[in-house]
Amino acid sequence: MKHTSAQISCGLKIAGCPENAVDSAPEPKTVASAPERIALLKARLLKSKGDRVNIGTPLYEDKQNTDILFAAPGAGTIEDIVYGPRRVIREIVIRLDKEQTAEAFTPYPAEKLAGITPGALTEILLKSGVWPLLRDIVYRKVADPGQSPAAIWVAATNQDPFHPPPDTWLQSPQDRRFFQTGIKALEILSSRVFVCCAADTGTGDAQIENRITHRVLRGYPFDDPAVVHYHVKTRPEDNHAWFVNGQDVRLIGEFLETGRFPVRRTVAVSGQNVPGRYRHTRMGAPLGILADPGEDSGRRWIAGGLFRGYSSGPDFHLGLYETAVNIIEESGKREMLGFMRPGWNKPTCSKTFLSVFNPRPLAVDADMHGSGRACVNCGSCTRACPVDILPQFTYKCIRAGEIEEALSHGMLDCVECGLCSYVCPSKIELCQTFQETKQAYFRQRI
Amino acid sequence: MGWMEKNLRKLFDAPRKHFEPGGRLGKLGPLFEAIEDVFFFPAEATQHRPLVRDSLDLKRFMSSVLVALIPPLLFGIYNTGYQSRLASEMSAAFMPSFMTGLGIVLPIILVSYAVGLFWELLFAAIRKHPISEGFLVTGLLFPLTLPPTIPLWQVAAGITFGVVIGKEVFGGTGRNLFNPALTARAFVFFAYPAQMSGDPVWVAVKQKASQAVDAVTGPTPLAVTELQAPFNSIQEMLTDQGYTFSTLFWGHYPGTIGGTSALCSLLGALLLIILGIASYRTILGAVAGLLATGFLLNLAASPGTLPWFSVNPFYHLVAGGFAFGAAYMATDPVTAPGTDRAKWIYGFLIGALTVLIRVVNPAFPEGVMLAILFMNMFAPLLEYTEIRLRVKKRIPHV
Ligand code: SF4
Ligand code: SF4
Repeated sequence: MKHTSAQISCGLKIAGCPENAVDSAPEPKTVASAPERIALLKARLLKSKGDRVNIGTPLYEDKQNTDILFAAPGAGTIEDIVYGPRRVIREIVIRLDKEQTAEAFTPYPAEKLAGITPGALTEILLKSGVWPLLRDIVYRKVADPGQSPAAIWVAATNQDPFHPPPDTWLQSPQDRRFFQTGIKALEILSSRVFVCCAADTGTGDAQIENRITHRVLRGYPFDDPAVVHYHVKTRPEDNHAWFVNGQDVRLIGEFLETGRFPVRRTVAVSGQNVPGRYRHTRMGAPLGILADPGEDSGRRWIAGGLFRGYSSGPDFHLGLYETAVNIIEESGKREMLGFMRPGWNKPTCSKTFLSVFNPRPLAVDADMHGSGRACVNCGSCTRACPVDILPQFTYKCIRAGEIEEALSHGMLDCVECGLCSYVCPSKIELCQTFQETKQAYFRQRI
Repeated sequence: MGWMEKNLRKLFDAPRKHFEPGGRLGKLGPLFEAIEDVFFFPAEATQHRPLVRDSLDLKRFMSSVLVALIPPLLFGIYNTGYQSRLASEMSAAFMPSFMTGLGIVLPIILVSYAVGLFWELLFAAIRKHPISEGFLVTGLLFPLTLPPTIPLWQVAAGITFGVVIGKEVFGGTGRNLFNPALTARAFVFFAYPAQMSGDPVWVAVKQKASQAVDAVTGPTPLAVTELQAPFNSIQEMLTDQGYTFSTLFWGHYPGTIGGTSALCSLLGALLLIILGIASYRTILGAVAGLLATGFLLNLAASPGTLPWFSVNPFYHLVAGGFAFGAAYMATDPVTAPGTDRAKWIYGFLIGALTVLIRVVNPAFPEGVMLAILFMNMFAPLLEYTEIRLRVKKRIPHV
């Protein structure tokens, strides 16, 4: 298996794909949990600064549903609670003890799982803080335990550049057993469990290969479970589906087999001035231990993939779902006559730069490449959208306050992939608007 | 390069403070910004997801159209000079012709840009939004649709109408219903018919240095047909006047500045399609609509029908600025539908209407202009229908 660049459905070739070598990152001194990065979550703290916690101790709960608990990813003392704007809890930082003690839960190895009811399993996963790994496919928030899903989708791959492929986190027989146990658990929760995987990516194991139900030919975002789901659903009820990352299925399995809250993460590290590689580390590890691009200003740290990820920094910690760190240039340099350059090295989905003839993958940066303008109805966003939305019209509906109309256009089908915003020559924040409107719609509905 | 860049940078940095809000020239802020952005591409950092963005922006998007306009522009300049010198019985060699043409065309373009920019600026300042690059295209498209004899004040009046009524009253770029360049063109066509139609307007002749631009006689291809043509003889008539298919294709005849050469428009259209700026659907749709309607009329032609019924449909393709309109005007994304199926229909109807207008009323030789404006009006309807069809197919969320 050899990746030279990311495969993006609009034809973009992005440089910096990690070499297929896996190593271990240095041990972190702190880990953190980041409620801010969990969609639609209003967190209520259960611990305060200075408290001692074990791995798996509940740190905070969901205000809207106090059954949903979020567990500490490390054993130690809560060193700091960082707030963002409007008092949202950004990070709960735990300074790790030498001895990593963990809360003990009853293990449920594969054999014991068979007799368990969905209700009981839900209970087990909620209590241990493992539940939040399951997410709602529409709002991408934590799955609602009161709901029974029409299907559960597993994302074996994530082609948002750059994420670890399955064979990096399914290395040992034990890993593969955990994964299989995880799948078994999901099958208790729903009779329809689907596993989607990018076409050219192997899992390195025949049995797991057999589990794959959907192979996706096109690049990001087509292997996103929400996109596959959109293309196979047939009835309105199908929309009540959940999804879970492949790595997280392995974690669910690990938890059930061992009775310990699982903390292992395999993260793809890539970008400027850092060797691209896959690294084993812990859930909630600080980004700084994963890569060191040197003392140079003008760098942007992105956690969670180039398209879906958030701005971050070496002192921030990985969020619950994040398994990628990209470090890209943010030069702020105003290029002379920039828009007239032939652009042999300029990455683009369009055909207006010479780079369409450039076979090499190209480096991307954190620059807008233009300023905001009115929509000219060029249709680039429509061509990019993986779920047949007409973003420019949906956007106009939202702007005009016609939310019902936007809904009928398929706003809730938006998988928040960001491709429409990426390609827009007028630099309109389409994806951001859809995401915010979806969330606002969800909030006013409850 | 580095040296130039440093000095250019200084040139902008020194007067910047005057253009900032509250500065002496604060009102001209958008102009300053627009000019600076041309020389130094803005480099804002991304704030929202996705944190990477495409290299294509609206400046490059619109500049691509300008590049695609180069063939008709250069040929138009040359042809204008050539026809003028021919009419004045001067040597019609390439360079002198080009220079003469430049002398006639350049002022028209400059007036169009200057007056257009003035209005853009005014509205940018009032509405407090940045200047949209769309005017770069409008400012060049409009002159190319004009006869070279047009008085400069009419150019100014036309572009004013196009920008203000065609665009700004709708709320500015992106909300306009009609293509501003075409609106401007239609305005001068109807407001100043004497200078826009009839035979003598198409050749600009510089007589003596002291005398102003004047015109000579010689019917344009579409005007030929206003003459009483016997049944089935229209092609011969056109050929008699020197308007063979190949003349019309190459564009060596008096006409609008940029619209005579179907070849140049074809080159431009190809470039726009290759760059992905214009939709081939609209263009091919228009060609299909034109040919289909032309053939249908051929079938209906009889001695009792109007002369253009019987013309070979391929003549329609190369005559009367159709190629120019289909390549550059019909494909204006703002005023065309944005969805694929709607684009085909939109294009097809433009082609069909062009033929119908020409046949029924040859007094409007620029049938394509009216056809596009008319379809501009229906683009939202096509779009709406397409959206409804798509919405029906979606699986709702309950
Ligand atoms: S890509 Fe941007 S400018 Fe083009 S249609 Fe979509 S929103 Fe409008
Ligand atoms: S609307 Fe935009 S963000 Fe949403 S799925 Fe389509 S391309 Fe992705």
